[in-house]
Amino acid sequence: MYNRILVPTDGSEVAEAAVDHALSIARDNNAELHALYVADTNAISVSLGTEQVDRIRQGKFSEMTELREQAEAATGYVADVGAEAGLEVIEHHAGGVPHRIIANYADDNDIDLVVMGSHGRTGVRRALLGSVTERTLRSTRAPVLVVDYRENE
Amino acid sequence: MAAAVPLQESALLPEGLNVSFKLLPAAIVSAMMLSFLVIGFIYKVADTDDMWVAGRSIGNIENGMAIGANWMSAASYLGMAALIALSGVYGLAFVVGWTTGYFVLLIFLAAQMRRFGKYTAPDFVGDRFNSDSARAIAAITTFLIGFVYAIGQARGMGLVGLYIFGDPGIPGLSGYQSMMILFMVITIGYLALSGMLGATKNMVFQYLILIIAFLVGLYATGWAAGYSTILPQLEYAQLISALSAEFSEPFVNESYYLWIATAVSLAFGTCGLPHVLVRFYTVDNERTARWSTVWGLFFIALLYLSAPAYAAFGTDLYSQNIRPAFGDPGMTSAAADVIVVLATQLSGLPSWLVGFVAAGGIAAAVATTAGLFIAGSSAISHDIYANIINEDASQRKQMIVGRLSIVALGVLTMAAAFDPQAPIAALVSYAFSLAATVLFPMFFLGLWWERTNRQGALTGMITGLILWLIPMANEGAFGIVNGGAGLGIDVIATWMPAIGSAIVSMPLVFVVTIVVSLMTDNPPQETRQMVRQCHSPRPMAQDRTAEEVVARRTDDSPADD
Repeated sequence: MYNRILVPTDGSEVAEAAVDHALSIARDNNAELHALYVADTNAISVSLGTEQVDRIRQGKFSEMTELREQAEAATGYVADVGAEAGLEVIEHHAGGVPHRIIANYADDNDIDLVVMGSHGRTGVRRALLGSVTERTLRSTRAPVLVVDYRENE
Repeated sequence: MAAAVPLQESALLPEGLNVSFKLLPAAIVSAMMLSFLVIGFIYKVADTDDMWVAGRSIGNIENGMAIGANWMSAASYLGMAALIALSGVYGLAFVVGWTTGYFVLLIFLAAQMRRFGKYTAPDFVGDRFNSDSARAIAAITTFLIGFVYAIGQARGMGLVGLYIFGDPGIPGLSGYQSMMILFMVITIGYLALSGMLGATKNMVFQYLILIIAFLVGLYATGWAAGYSTILPQLEYAQLISALSAEFSEPFVNESYYLWIATAVSLAFGTCGLPHVLVRFYTVDNERTARWSTVWGLFFIALLYLSAPAYAAFGTDLYSQNIRPAFGDPGMTSAAADVIVVLATQLSGLPSWLVGFVAAGGIAAAVATTAGLFIAGSSAISHDIYANIINEDASQRKQMIVGRLSIVALGVLTMAAAFDPQAPIAALVSYAFSLAATVLFPMFFLGLWWERTNRQGALTGMITGLILWLIPMANEGAFGIVNGGAGLGIDVIATWMPAIGSAIVSMPLVFVVTIVVSLMTDNPPQETRQMVRQCHSPRPMAQDRTAEEVVARRTDDSPADD
């Protein structure tokens, strides 16, 4: 049923909460696991500066040390856990608008299932921070499994 | 001497300027603002599907134009000619200072910064001196520079906006205030979309608009009024003897010392401005860093060499049509700040051309304000929030903090520009004094003297901040001390004027940093090697930073060096 499972991750605990679920399903189906990190260019333009967005577009990702380490750590976590379980994990790094990239990636790679974490934010925090997961739900045709994460509960 | 530049009248209403709603110019300005957005969407930042695949790189010339757009603000477009018109030869200190700065940048900083390879200016300070406090001080300074610099831009937008759109008659606000707020709000709104906008492409476009508008305005004015034909930049010399001595005789309006102080402060301030330096982090290699600087300087010089001619034409036209520009009452600073637009109008050119010249001024102000606000927001969201307060901050949280900082900067700027106490060029030069005093010594010593350590940097920066505040308080800048009268201590006003205070404070900061560094411990071996790597004659691989080279070398051969 599930041959290729996608886990989008930004390296946060919220994202990693979904990894166990993805792993379990992947093991049962002997599926291929895809770990995707998206550098959010809208966020980068105000936090690192518009010049850095140009830098990503020029493919200079390898010299942007901190961002690269963050991306590698995020997908590396999935790769490590997957390797322990004896699964094949494909790591991928992209830059742009997260939900759009996730949806495109799912399309291009025949992903059968997207597994991702969610904060379960409400009220003002939700309005301000929004939810990548929510937007992904609306932009992809692949089935999405949302794993809710709440701190200290 | 508080009147380094003749002062304002409280209601900013440039005399002789026909303040009313002008349909054609208004349409041109609106169309231009709209075209920024359109260009932004055409070249919008596409998703990068695979970050490990090389994309198209940005060439020297394109980079140079982006440097020009980011750099040339209302202070260059309007303020420079304004100061020359008001104070004659004194105004040339701006032309000299702002271009000299690029040579220092070219020789000592551009390529070396490229090698250090970080994201923001505070990043460099924090990593070089291994200190979060140093990073925080640099970030706060960056934010302050953005704020002070933007006040001048807001004044420029307000005055030009008033000329084109007239007084909308909002109760409680003067026409200038309404227009200033309107254009600042538009700029902030524009920034909210900037993540989607193609950064460099848009800057190239902004540069083209502003340089074409300025040069067309100058040529047309010179031609229509019969001053010049093909090379107004030289032909204006024929006017020199006709203009009064206040314009053409050196050091009549201001002293020789003030001239030098201003030029020094502006030159080194240029090298300490965070929004100028960030461009060098992102270029392909050191060679591109150097050539972009050269092209940038060329594109800037196109405007700078023309500004004195514009000022001369404007002053002469003003004297003929309105009243003598010098003497009592003379030209007001508000009129001078729009002399570029005023000259075009007084020489009888059609109103669409006047509108086009005005639009160029607004393009300059918007482009620079955007660059400054982004530098300020990244200082807060990347350097203070993500690096110090919350190290696990998600990308989205950083974005919210960044956007809030932009709004905060905008509100602060609008409040300060409500009743600005000085002309555009003077307001902007306060930011240059700050950059030259606090940041430039850190960049320069940090890159060239490996012995500079954390204690030295911290003491140096704090000394610098205090030294910057002294003349500001003394002259009552922003109306904070004594309701704008300031402390008025003559010795300080003469030898350490706010407009060029770096001539005294920058050397002091160098001395303090060096002495404290020598009295305290050596910085760690890795940091010292990193500094050597930044200016080593050996070429470095394109995709490396000095930090990585050092890390690799220490792994391979700990005995190296």
